Amino acid sequence: MKKKKLKAKIIILSVLALLLLLMTCFAGLVAKNDPNATSAAAIRTAPCADYPFGTDNLGRCVFSRVLYGGRTTITATFFLVAVSFAAGTLIGMICGYHGGIIDGILMRIADIMLAFPQMVVAIAVAGILGGGMKGAMIALGITMWVSFARLARSHTFSLKKEAFIKAALIAGKGDIYIIIVHILPNLLAPVLTNALTQIGTTMIGLSGLSFLGLGVVPPTAEWGSMISEGRAYIQIAPWAVLYPALATLITIIIFNCLGDAVMDYREA
Amino acid sequence: MVADKEKILKISGLSAAYEDANVINSVSLDVYKGEVLCIVGESGSGKSTLIKAICADNSVSVEEGSITYKDKVVTDLKAREVQKLLGCEIGLIQQNPWGAFNPIRRIDVQFKETFRSHGKFFHAERIKEIFEVLGLKDPDKILKMRPYELSGGMSQRIAIAAAFVLNPKLLLCDEITSALDVTIAMQVMQQLMELKKQQETTIIMVTHNLGLAKCIADRIAIMYEGKIVECAEASDILKDPQDEYTKRLISDVPRLRAI
Amino acid sequence: MIKKVLKRILTLVVILVILSFFVFALMYIAPGDPAEKRLTSQGVAVTKKVLDAERERLGLMKPFLVRYGEWLFSIIRGDFGISFKDDMPVAPKLLQGLGRTAVLALTSLAVSLITSFLFAVASVLKKDGIADRIIKVFSFVSNSLPNFLISVLLMYFLCIKLKLFPVIAKGDLKGLLLPVLSLSIPMIGRFIRQMRAEFLSEMSKDYVAGMRGRGVKTGYIMFNVIRNSLGHIFTIIALQTGTLMGGSVVIETIFRWPGIGKLVMDSITARDYPVIMGFVVIMGTIYLIINQIADVLSHRLDPRPES
Repeated sequence: MKKKKLKAKIIILSVLALLLLLMTCFAGLVAKNDPNATSAAAIRTAPCADYPFGTDNLGRCVFSRVLYGGRTTITATFFLVAVSFAAGTLIGMICGYHGGIIDGILMRIADIMLAFPQMVVAIAVAGILGGGMKGAMIALGITMWVSFARLARSHTFSLKKEAFIKAALIAGKGDIYIIIVHILPNLLAPVLTNALTQIGTTMIGLSGLSFLGLGVVPPTAEWGSMISEGRAYIQIAPWAVLYPALATLITIIIFNCLGDAVMDYREA
Repeated sequence: MVADKEKILKISGLSAAYEDANVINSVSLDVYKGEVLCIVGESGSGKSTLIKAICADNSVSVEEGSITYKDKVVTDLKAREVQKLLGCEIGLIQQNPWGAFNPIRRIDVQFKETFRSHGKFFHAERIKEIFEVLGLKDPDKILKMRPYELSGGMSQRIAIAAAFVLNPKLLLCDEITSALDVTIAMQVMQQLMELKKQQETTIIMVTHNLGLAKCIADRIAIMYEGKIVECAEASDILKDPQDEYTKRLISDVPRLRAI
Repeated sequence: MIKKVLKRILTLVVILVILSFFVFALMYIAPGDPAEKRLTSQGVAVTKKVLDAERERLGLMKPFLVRYGEWLFSIIRGDFGISFKDDMPVAPKLLQGLGRTAVLALTSLAVSLITSFLFAVASVLKKDGIADRIIKVFSFVSNSLPNFLISVLLMYFLCIKLKLFPVIAKGDLKGLLLPVLSLSIPMIGRFIRQMRAEFLSEMSKDYVAGMRGRGVKTGYIMFNVIRNSLGHIFTIIALQTGTLMGGSVVIETIFRWPGIGKLVMDSITARDYPVIMGFVVIMGTIYLIINQIADVLSHRLDPRPES
């Protein structure tokens, strides 16, 4: 009963998330205005037929910028989560499978990464790297892989004790074969769930860094930096802030909801 | 003989669910004052859920029927009234020996909270009296300890004491000796029966152990897949079982002993 | 006992050294030259000769390990170096900022803890009731709100639409309110979620059923549940201080609160490395100490031997 309800919830949320992704992927089809085209004649225009979300301080279409900005934010987030997921899972599997010195060293590094306040390190690193989305992603990525590695490691640990792995070992299968064929598919579900729950947090982190000017380089549209720019003239053109803010909020809530629902589903 | 005794608890047509699964199906059962009623069944038969339903645990949702204790319909009571009823009128002892007390706080403090919850003062003499029957030596030392420092047998004895301290009329026991060693379980059961005699308590004992039921029960109810399949005087049920499941259950007992 | 304390301190120092080395190395390889930045900001025409002289003066010409070693030893003496930006000692700047940040962060922490504790308890007591559902939705949404977003929204609705507060924070109580709210709201959401989960898992334990079976009053039961959750709650709080530190950088920048976060953001723009390093070291040390204390506390609060 409960499971069925959760399943329905997951499907609805997935559809919403997919819709969001499609909207931003095909931003060019939905938005007719160039997100970076400035127009001296249309500075801070209130929302109207030509500019559904109004224009900003340089006369750029906020609607287009929200869509294209979503592409920046969401792509960067997915890329970062995917890389952390891949790197973390690989490290975790190696550690859990091999144990010994490799495990000791890598897990010590993970401990040190976790011992530090993530956002403090991220701000310092992004700041030193001199802004840019790449810098922001590196700044967040250096601590993000840890949760994946730990999860993958503990699952590998318990999987190694299972009979079917022992059987594969006796059958003379190689380590790499066992890791890829037997271990990876069995730990994918929990690790992927973790990836899903990380999307919201990562988005908060990335747009936060962009807001501080440590993320995207202007004039590229990005929600955090749009909010930051629009803040200066929020009294005159609140739409330049409120629409990207709304977009950020909706996106994070959808992905967080989805993450929670999948977690609940797996536990139920 | 049973018929003219006073009814203390009446369960009529009870259907209840526990964690989204229907586990009790139209169960009717009368409990008479002063008796020991054993409810015997395998795990998953719904016997523990029945106990939970009697003490109005909120993890059990009653879908049909009612439970009446004396003149109170337990299934209709508000949370506050249930709280007053439990402890003073209906007591509960669980399977987990460490399940009665917060493991990391001192036992005397927790007895104090039990007394205070019913508007009474901490009554050390009463605790010590019961401790003595239960063979708990050095009560002052025990009261200053924390449950995690105690053995299972000790903990279960103290749990029994905590149940008896408010002198409830009806005591619900849920597999209370199944987590203990056999010899200790025997001792604890004897001591419990001693207390029952002194305090004239009615006991509903849930167990999967027919041998135990045989030793202590006045009446036995057999539960299977959420239903009471048979309920009769202990000697009758053991000598002349009517239901197929009961017959199988009884024939299993000696076979197990032979192993 | 002494051995344990020493071990904890040693762990702390090792982590700090590794992290500071990492950040220092990153600065070494990062693009951007502080000497050039400084000269251009002063309006000096940058020639190779002037640049080299400036680099020499700022100590940028020495080999990497020598620079790191010198920096590390001066930190131990409490000397955080000289600011590249204005030649002022860094330590007093950092300390002054830290004090102001502490005011902001601690107020926010106190506000969040009190609010979320009350909400979490109410939510658990009336589980699945209307209050619980409202609290769950609220905590979910506020947990999904980035700090910068909530502060901009608060600014827009409270300062501009309703004109309740000044847009730029002064040091007074009224000026403190918006930054504190901006920092607290997401934190309240997180705390409620974590505390609620903690309380619920504690309430599912057998002893709670046992107490209920004796008719122990809800107040006493709740007291026991909270008492047993305290260790975990301290750990949760300690971990959240990290998020709080990151959040305060954002909030200080938005509200121009002259704390350590605003200082570091200004220094990042100016490539003022000594200040950035000082920020990392100070925040890291505080965070590590808080977490060590929480760890000790949670062990103290649960007398059971570890299994």
